[in-house]
Amino acid sequence: MSSRVLVADDARFMRQLIREIIEPEGFEVVGEAADGRAVVEEFSRLQPDVITMDIVMPKRSGIDAAKEILALDPGARIVMVSALGQEALVMEALQAGAADYVVKPFKPDAVIATLRKLVEKEV
Amino acid sequence: MDPVKYRNLFLEEATEHLAEMSRALLELEKDPRDTAAIDLVFRMVHSLKGMSASLGYEAVSDLSHRLEDRLGIWRAHGGIDDTAGLPLLFRGLESLERMVAVVRESGEAPPPDPALLAAIDAARGSTRDGDGKPVPKKAEARAR
Repeated sequence: MSSRVLVADDARFMRQLIREIIEPEGFEVVGEAADGRAVVEEFSRLQPDVITMDIVMPKRSGIDAAKEILALDPGARIVMVSALGQEALVMEALQAGAADYVVKPFKPDAVIATLRKLVEKEV
Repeated sequence: MDPVKYRNLFLEEATEHLAEMSRALLELEKDPRDTAAIDLVFRMVHSLKGMSASLGYEAVSDLSHRLEDRLGIWRAHGGIDDTAGLPLLFRGLESLERMVAVVRESGEAPPPDPALLAAIDAARGSTRDGDGKPVPKKAEARAR
């Protein structure tokens, strides 16, 4: 059974890119969220296996959304999506319980390897 | 990645972002301490940075990144606290608009405006708080 992924990013471009990178590799994108409030709602509704979480989003940052999701479900697997210059924010997210991170611009192999590592942990 | 498809997606989304940025700068003209407007401009240039880097438009990504850094400092300060700030943002917006127009016409990003990059770097280099002390790196990095 394919792993179910929720993709959170305020840019359609990035949501589409992640989808195109991971879907051919056996992941199913079950939902998308364009802001930090919607991702928490979608997490509760969809109960995905993994969330890819952009850090900079409207309404609520990816860090705050990750913290809220982890408060709801400490076992939630969240991959932070960061960019150059966001090292301190990535560290904050990892300390808060995010599982891992990937960096933009994406290296497809790295994105897939990161997600695989996480979903294999649950088996 | 289908470059034409993603270029079109970039052009569509970048145009929306620049329009939003333009509206936010007009709000900042009225009130340079409008943190919601600063947040919005920050998010727009951050998003432009990620999209343009993904397509190899280094000049767009570089300018967006420098503006983002500068905006991060203003976010940490609770507003634009220097007189050169807003004109710099308007120049940044105009330059990004020109670059996106060239991408639309030619499929390639043009070289950056060296004078603008130098002006942003000069502003970043003079990063000081109200007491004249350097802004700690952490405050800049945490700005979001």
